[in-house]
Amino acid sequence: MPPVAPTFAASPAGPSPDTPKDPAYTPPPEPSFRPAGESWVWFTSMGLAIGLVMILGLLGLIISNGLAVFWPKPVVQVQLVEGSQAGIRGSPTFGGEHVKTQEKRVTQLDEDGKPLPPAYEYQFYVANRDAYGFSFKYIDRKEVLAITHPANAIVAERFSLGTAIFLPRELRPFESAAIPGDSPEFIPTLERLVQAGNERRREIRQIERHQIGAINRELSRLHLQRRALEHGPNPPADAPARLAAIDARAATLQAEFEGLAARARQLRERQAADTLSYVTLSGAERVTPVAEILDFTLPNQLGFFGKLREFVVRFWKFLSEEPRAANMEGGIFPAIFGTFVMTLLMSVAVTPFGVLAAIYLREYAKQGLFVRCVRIAVNNLAGVPSIVFGVFGLGFFVYMVGGSIDQLFFSLSLPTPTFGTGGVLWASATLALMTVPVVIVSTEEALAAVSRGSREGSLACGASKWQTIQRIVLPASLPGILTGLILAMARGAGEVAPLMLVGVVKLAPTLPIDGIPPFVHLERKFMHLGFHIFDLGFQSPDSEAAKPMVFATTFLLILLVVCLNLGAILIRNHLRKKYKVSTF
Amino acid sequence: MPKDPQSDIPARFRVAKTTLLVDRFMNQFIKIGGLSIIVAVFAIFVFILAQVIPLFRDAKVEELKAVQLDAAEYAILGIDEWSELPFALRTDGEFLFADVIGERGLTRKSLPFVTEHGFGAAHYNQLAQRVAIGTRNGKFALVDLHYRPVHAPGGGRSITADPRPGPLYDIGRPGAPITHIAYADAGARKLAVVKQEPAENGGPVELHAVSLTQRRGLVGGGQISVDRSFDLTPLVPGTIDRFLVPAQADAVVVATTEGEIIYLFRQGDRFVVRQTFRPFPESPGPLSTFNFVFGDVTLVVGDQAGSLKGYSLYLAPGAEQRLFGHTKTFPAQKAPGTVFANSVRNKAFVVGSGSHADLLFSTTEDRRWGKSFDFAVTHAVIGGKYDRMVFLDDKHVLHFYRLDDPHPEASFRAFFGKLWYEGSPAPRFDWQSTGGSDDFEPKLSLVPLIFGSLKGTFYALVFAVPIALLAAIYTSQFLKPEIKTVVKPVMEIMASLPSVVLGFLAALWLAPIVETRVPSILLLVTLVPFSAFALGYLWTHASPRVRVLIPHGWEFLVFIPVLLGVGYAAWQMGPALERLLFVVTDPSTGARVADFRLWWPTVTGTPFEQRNSLVVGFMMGFAVIPIIFTISEDALSNVPQSLRSGSLALGASRWQTAFRIVLPTASAGIFSALMIGLGRAVGETMIVVMATGNTPIMEWNIFSGMRTLAANIAVELPEAPHHGTLYRTLFLGAMVLFLLTFLVNTLAEILRQRLRSRFRSVE
Repeated sequence: MPPVAPTFAASPAGPSPDTPKDPAYTPPPEPSFRPAGESWVWFTSMGLAIGLVMILGLLGLIISNGLAVFWPKPVVQVQLVEGSQAGIRGSPTFGGEHVKTQEKRVTQLDEDGKPLPPAYEYQFYVANRDAYGFSFKYIDRKEVLAITHPANAIVAERFSLGTAIFLPRELRPFESAAIPGDSPEFIPTLERLVQAGNERRREIRQIERHQIGAINRELSRLHLQRRALEHGPNPPADAPARLAAIDARAATLQAEFEGLAARARQLRERQAADTLSYVTLSGAERVTPVAEILDFTLPNQLGFFGKLREFVVRFWKFLSEEPRAANMEGGIFPAIFGTFVMTLLMSVAVTPFGVLAAIYLREYAKQGLFVRCVRIAVNNLAGVPSIVFGVFGLGFFVYMVGGSIDQLFFSLSLPTPTFGTGGVLWASATLALMTVPVVIVSTEEALAAVSRGSREGSLACGASKWQTIQRIVLPASLPGILTGLILAMARGAGEVAPLMLVGVVKLAPTLPIDGIPPFVHLERKFMHLGFHIFDLGFQSPDSEAAKPMVFATTFLLILLVVCLNLGAILIRNHLRKKYKVSTF
Repeated sequence: MPKDPQSDIPARFRVAKTTLLVDRFMNQFIKIGGLSIIVAVFAIFVFILAQVIPLFRDAKVEELKAVQLDAAEYAILGIDEWSELPFALRTDGEFLFADVIGERGLTRKSLPFVTEHGFGAAHYNQLAQRVAIGTRNGKFALVDLHYRPVHAPGGGRSITADPRPGPLYDIGRPGAPITHIAYADAGARKLAVVKQEPAENGGPVELHAVSLTQRRGLVGGGQISVDRSFDLTPLVPGTIDRFLVPAQADAVVVATTEGEIIYLFRQGDRFVVRQTFRPFPESPGPLSTFNFVFGDVTLVVGDQAGSLKGYSLYLAPGAEQRLFGHTKTFPAQKAPGTVFANSVRNKAFVVGSGSHADLLFSTTEDRRWGKSFDFAVTHAVIGGKYDRMVFLDDKHVLHFYRLDDPHPEASFRAFFGKLWYEGSPAPRFDWQSTGGSDDFEPKLSLVPLIFGSLKGTFYALVFAVPIALLAAIYTSQFLKPEIKTVVKPVMEIMASLPSVVLGFLAALWLAPIVETRVPSILLLVTLVPFSAFALGYLWTHASPRVRVLIPHGWEFLVFIPVLLGVGYAAWQMGPALERLLFVVTDPSTGARVADFRLWWPTVTGTPFEQRNSLVVGFMMGFAVIPIIFTISEDALSNVPQSLRSGSLALGASRWQTAFRIVLPTASAGIFSALMIGLGRAVGETMIVVMATGNTPIMEWNIFSGMRTLAANIAVELPEAPHHGTLYRTLFLGAMVLFLLTFLVNTLAEILRQRLRSRFRSVE
């Protein structure tokens, strides 16, 4: 700190020789190079710094945690000190992926008020939930004797029981002799068997989901036809004949069903035939059908590029697969697809309405007090909490409109509601209503930015009003409209609260668009990335184990929303430069 | 076409017909379409209002049918749970069932034992559909009515009844006529109480009770037999008038002809007087009304002048037993109530006197309906589903009414006022919409929810406003314009973070961290502003050679590493501070521990929860900061350049210009930014749902949670039955939210427009 230079405070200005003797006169302060209030400027800079640190820190947290989920971690085996009771069921060793090391919180003080020395503990992801009953384990550092990295440790992703971490012991294929775990044949054979199992699983799924599903659909359609014939108001004359035809068809279907079910049963039996016996890192011996294993890696043998490859594979699986095991395993494809379909439907609904209303307000309505009020009100509607729109959507779309549609067109399947319950159509309608003010406001701004000159030029050339709007005004304001639409999409994609009321579910068995006629099923419930986060984090049986999944999903949602918003901001900045509009 | 305006234009200049047609069509289409979209958007409010209005409607009652019964005296009036076959019991022991839906007319069924022993008194339990009848010779029997729906072969359904008397039990003084009876069955405990005429040789009116036990059979219930007899006469001072046995079968509440109430409670094998009180000390004399409301916790008493009060059992602070206390005052009746019937679905009851009847609701003390008939009411009963009412008049006509009152619990007072709920020691605001038992009293006060919304908003704003405003001032006044084009979008990205993500991070990431590090956060909050000032001071006093290293507009970049350093230091120093200041003796182990989580409840007496307002406030900051920042930054930037230039030219420093010139000019805009930020925080749903415990408490404690209006809707609406009271109440909550945010935003918008016009006049 240099004490030399004078400042405001340090200028008591001692009497200088040429000061007049007037006591009321105070000499002017010496000119200072230190402007007043600089500390305050620094203080205000704190606000911006905190804001930036907050947002960048949060994004960094989400990205690092979200991506770390897919990066293979080494498997360690922990040797405990002699006589330690901290192992799993008294075992001297255990193992898993190291999650974190943390200082154990010591709050107790000794007699002098001094804290006890700090202690550290490790958290391990031990997996093998079926064997242990838990998947995370904390262990005191004092209890640990040594930590080794067994090279042949296998991390296997299983179909229904979650991840397993183990050392191989013996593979017992159905068709050939047993292969011990240390044989060079072991890994290639295991790979081959896992692949064969996956193929059989696909076939079973094909049979059960698609072929048997198709039969079931036809059977329930026949059932409805039969009900219509039996209980209908005026049965046609040929009712008995048609009933007989229905019965015959149902019998054929039943026979087909039996055949398919037998084939599925046979495949399932084959699935259980190859077995693998293994030892968990805590020494427990277990046997599992090989077909239970979906995929496996040997993380301790992977180099950087091997890990990178594994990372990409896992990420792709996360994007493309369906969730398993109460959403805690597998991928999130249905949630991505549901979010996509809902946002798309919402955009389709919101754009024409928003643009139409904006054109009316800006081009047709008489600019006066009324339009000003409407404009303020529309603006404020964007600030109304989303949950209020959800409440409206439930009351109006689901119960009133949906209920009426059911009464009119689906009365045969009542009391099971078809449209009278939440679904992707009502969800998009609700969100469209919620985001329509966003589109109106930004479209209006864009329309206002089109210069008077180009309008009048068009009119002067003899174009009609609509032609002017269609050919001159709308194209010029297209980027603005697009900005509004993107902002609306970003808001719609990230919103969860109203969806909880109008049709989002934790697990939808079918997608809103698929290969079954009529292909687009607007009445179906759907999955959503945002709700997936809520559900995994708060309603799953083990929120600690679900955390990686939640972070990964969060990463994806943030990526989507931030990209949309950045797009909107870029377009807007571009527009601003083009038109130099002061308010936006 | 002579009228065509284009007819005098040369053909080559004429506009094509299709163009005109399209133009006309589009004009109309846009006008109608645009207007209707705007109308549709505002119909949201109308729709929500339409869902709410039925809450505030009174009960609607209309007469469906009148049936003439025999000219006889009637002891009780009852009705089945489908409200199709009401009955009246004649004092000679004959049941009259009146089919009010079908065409069966009257059916009769007499009880032989009544003819044999004589009719003394009867008591009707509507929930169990059981009548207890006492005879003229000191015996009583339980008669099960056996109401059953019978499905006819051709479709359709009718209700039949088959009263079947159980065995006769002896009670009280053998052979003495029973003049009043009450019976309650609480499963293992059954209690019958009778009043008997005094003995012929004089003496008082006697009160006797017997408890019954049921031997457990292998299948179903076994034989019921008398377990123990009690003579309650000595316990009651004065002349016994009437008495009630609550459904728990553990007490007898006796009213004397002097207007005193004695609360007898069973303790082991004897009864003790637990409480004696006089509900109307100013008017002695027998009580006109003396009955329980459904649930048998609230006693409705009326005096001879027509006043009506409610006494509820509750545990007063410091008391050891639940005693009756005055909790309700109902609208006064024109005449003393002589007829009473309570609903077995909710807390409603009918009080009748002469030709007038009122339907009252106990929780809200509300009068749901009232009517003066052209007949005198002698008996009344409310249907089991609270959808029918039956009155019997003195001309022996049975009047069958439809009762349409879907939302009796709702009233303005129930939503916004304090109510004295059953079992509570004082009136309070409370939200608890569903409960475990049938006689649960829904508590629908929106006040704790509004309070929760305001609490969350308050803590969010406390955190967000300083940061957002400082950042806005810095960005608009001091930051280099080139950096601004980068910084502003980054801050705006913050606004786009989905609230479910913020909520998840708040609950599963932040809350566990904050829980153990509160002292660190205290340090952080004090050290960071201090470090900003200190850095500013240092820089001000640095030599110009040092100062040129940091050009104007780059201060924030220098501050970021300082911020991180100070933050890290504060984080690490927190436990030390904790050991210094927040030491407390752990009550469970007796050891001295330095733990803020224990220290806070011990010192302040308020709880410390992991998911608390601090966490919510911080995370809501992410949602609110960018809004306040963007709008106030706009307002500050739009202050005419001429003002700033003038100030700077006169020698003011950049801070003086910003603080004395720009800030006051833009104050309206900043205020409107705060309002819009407030609107966002009030309606925030997911963060609150996830990061608080969602308990509707009313305290400002920063280390406890809250339940906000929005979170409440999200949690309860998916489960609320369509068009039920809860459903509509949640819509009311949504309407309150809508109005609140809409008004706040409108105010902000008007302010902003004013500001804009003011700037225009300055320029």
